[in-house]
Parts: sequence; C-alpha cells; structure tokens
Amino acid sequence: MSASGQSYWLTEPCRIRREDNSIRIERADRTPVRIPITDIRDLVVFDNADINTAAVSLLSRHRITVHLLDHYGNYAGALTPAEDMSSAHVVRAQVTLTADPVARLAVARALVGATAANVAWALDTDLLAGPLERLPAQVRACADAEELMGIEGNFRRTAWGVLDTLLPPWLRLGGRSRRPPSNAGNAFISYLNAITYARVLTAIRCTPLHPAIGFLHADSDRRRNTLALDLAEPFKPLLAERLLRRAAAQRTLTAADFVSDVRSASLSTAGRKKVSIMVREELATTVHHRQLKRKVSYEELIHLEALKLVRLCLEGTPYKPFRPWW
Amino acid sequence: MKPHPDAAANPPPDPDDVDDDGIGGVHIKYLLHCPRQLWLYSHGYRPEARNEAVAFGEVVDDTTYRRHHDIDLGAAKIDWVTRGAVVHETKSSRQPSPQHEAQVRHYCLLLARRGVNVRGGVVHYPLIRRTTRVAWDDTARRAAETAEAQARQVSAAATPPPRLPRASCRGCSYRDYCWGDS
Ligand code: SF4
Repeated sequence: MSASGQSYWLTEPCRIRREDNSIRIERADRTPVRIPITDIRDLVVFDNADINTAAVSLLSRHRITVHLLDHYGNYAGALTPAEDMSSAHVVRAQVTLTADPVARLAVARALVGATAANVAWALDTDLLAGPLERLPAQVRACADAEELMGIEGNFRRTAWGVLDTLLPPWLRLGGRSRRPPSNAGNAFISYLNAITYARVLTAIRCTPLHPAIGFLHADSDRRRNTLALDLAEPFKPLLAERLLRRAAAQRTLTAADFVSDVRSASLSTAGRKKVSIMVREELATTVHHRQLKRKVSYEELIHLEALKLVRLCLEGTPYKPFRPWW
Repeated sequence: MKPHPDAAANPPPDPDDVDDDGIGGVHIKYLLHCPRQLWLYSHGYRPEARNEAVAFGEVVDDTTYRRHHDIDLGAAKIDWVTRGAVVHETKSSRQPSPQHEAQVRHYCLLLARRGVNVRGGVVHYPLIRRTTRVAWDDTARRAAETAEAQARQVSAAATPPPRLPRASCRGCSYRDYCWGDS
C-alpha cells in the first residue's frame, strides 16, 4: 500500500489512549497493547470505544482514520484526520468530471456492469446468466445515475434471491433489510459492506482524490462519501456475498454467533471476532497481477482501484472497474 | 550542523523576494529520473508524501539553519564555512547518480539567488562510504538553470509525458499508479 502500517481491528470494548508516539489500546482484564503510530494505517472499531483528545490528535497528525461500526454493523462514522492528501488539481478534475453528465454516466455504467458481473462470479452460479445477459442493454438505456441505481437494485434483488438458495435456512436473507438488519444473513451482509466501505475510504484517503465527490451514488446525501460508496460496489460481492457463502459452506458461523430477536439481528462479540478474522484473512489473500508482475493482496486491489480514478482525473484514462481475473 | 557565525553576520535576503516558481530539489531529481514522475508529483499525486513528511520533520528537528534563514531545502543540510556555504545531501542509495548532483546544484542555485556565497556541494553515500563533490561555477549555474527551466516546462504541460520503458520503472514509487491498471 502507499501508506505505511496496517489496519487494526478492535472487536472488543476498549479505551484508546496516547503514550508518547504510540497508541495504547486498553481492554478489560488484559494488558494494554501499544502500537507505534507509524505502524498504523487505520483502526476499525467494532464495539464501544472511549478515546481522548491526546489520542485523536496523534492519530490525526499521522493521517490515520478511525472507522466506527455501530452495533448492527452499519458504518456509524469516522474520526478523520484534520488534513488530507487531496490535491487541488485532482479535486478540480474530479469535480469537472462528475459535473459532466457524459463522463459521469460512463463511470457509473461501468461500475454497475462490473458489479453485476462480480456478483455472478461471487455466487459461482449459472442462475444469474439470464439477468446478466440482459444487463448491458438496460445499462445503455439509462439516462442518468438514478436510473442506473434502479437497474443495479433490481439485479441485486434477483441475486440475493439466488444466494438464498445456496444458504441454510437460518442464514437466508429473505430480502435485504438494513437499519436494522432483520436476520443473521442481513446482519452479516451489513457488517461486510460497512467493512468494505471502510477499506475503500482508507484507500481513497491515501490518494489525492476527495472521497465525497462520486459518480454513481447521489451526492444529495451530505453525510456520505459517495466516491467511497461507488468504489465499494465492485468489491462488495468479493467480500460480502462470497464470504457469506463460504461461512455457510464451511460452517464457520453458527446461529449462536448472532444476537437475534424478532425484528433485528447483529453479530455477537464472538461472531464479530470470527468475522473480523475472516475478513482480515481474505484481504490478505494475494493474486498475481499481470501488469505489475507481482502478487497483490485484495487490500491492495482496492488501493489500485482508487489509483485508476486518479488516472481518470489526471489523464482521462477510461475507468475499467475491478473484475476478478483469476 | 550549526550555522557558522559568518552566516549570522551576513543574513541572506528575504526569501519571498526570490521567485523559484516552487521548483525544489525533488522536482529536479524526478525530472532526471522520469519526466512523467515530475508531472504527476507536481499535479498532486505523491505516493510517498506521508513518509517524506515524517522524514522531513526529523531532519528539521536536528538542524537549526531552517529557523535561522527560512530557506527550505528539503533534506539537504548546509555547512557555513568562512567565506561561503557548502550544501550537503545524504543519499541512502548505493549508486552515485547524476540526479543527486543535479539536485545539489539546484540547492546551490536557490541559495545563490538568495545572496548566499555558495562554494559547492557534497553528496554523501554512507552505505558505500563515498562522497561526490559538486562544483559550483558558471557552468554549474547554467546547468542548474537549464534543469529548472525544463522542470517548469514539464510541470506546466497539460498532459503527462508517457511512461518510461518498464525496465526503467524498477524501484519507482509511482509504479502502482503507472502500471496498476489491469
Ligand atoms: S513508474 Fe515508470 S513511468 Fe511511472 S513515474 Fe515511475 S519511472 Fe516514470
């Protein structure tokens, strides 16, 4: 990755403090862990954390983001560095591109097409061949990003239906529900989507791009970093749908890893730990990159994806979203 | 390295009076390595920005000249000796290179413009225990001015120069950007 250090995942309630040039993580009944600030790329917080100003200012000075997930795995927010790496020149180009309907639609179409293909790849099934075949024509017919979001939504609903046929009854989605997720399957997808979003956001922050200026997602919602939402799309199937299938097939997760009641579900502490281990292992998985002629991890793929958009902004190089080539 | 008393007795003019167009030592180094790298750098893509910022902070802490003279020479240090200044640049590379000399010449140029009497420069290669002397005379000054003009030209271009042949990209921190589009 461009920025040094690695991600730290905090799955238990903890206190985050500063100690000289280190961050000290204090958890109940455990000896505190000290991490030199230069070893940290970002922090992903899965549970309650208590942080003070000294820690925040050290993290901020080193441009480290603290991602906060809420109880249901939704992305609750972040502590973001006071300064970022964005450059005026790149951001100007980004604004110009997103304001140009033709350029914007080209990127948005590519994202929807690639995401659908990646969903089919992740589910490893022929059941989506029909919808996938019809998609290019539908995408071409769309006049704006909003219509594209509609097409993407339809395809996803079909795909989730197919996914359900591959899952044991207790993990089935039965339709996607978000705030809060209605059952274990939905809770899992919510966590993984939020984690993917956090990875993308960190990757974007290591580039001169501005995370809030996007192509596909509507920028009317001021709370969201729409570029991060955009770039998360092609990676969500790789992490969320695929890991859900794997967790089901390998029986990594059991109903006991979720806290469920009639209308909502979330991961238990043990479940969060399992999921964070699964994701970290997955992100560290490497594949051979033909152009770079070396192995790259999935995490690096996300970084390379952000760089493609830098190339679009700086050089007008058409953006070809990530598709698994292995 | 502490400034020599001479330097205090003969303070350089206000740096704001000198127009360098923001071309620094890094720009010169990149120009000679790969013009495309210079273009990308000057347009805001800096994959190493974070690490450089950290390294620079450390250098500033253990030198005092910057506070005294407000001359930002990045990583270079200056020795103030009787009747002049010597620019010192330390490289972790094992391979002496014309880029490093050009970078030092550029620092000499910046200092000379500020009215400092520059005597020359030295590139240090601690890993191979070698040093290279860099002369500062009319020829050197012309070379530095030419490089600076070229750097300005590349930076101002609307589009980036093409990639180098792959083999030349080895070790370049811009590789993920230039070659990562699969
Ligand atoms: S990767 Fe190659 S083409 Fe790109 S900046 Fe570096 S040397 Fe130049």
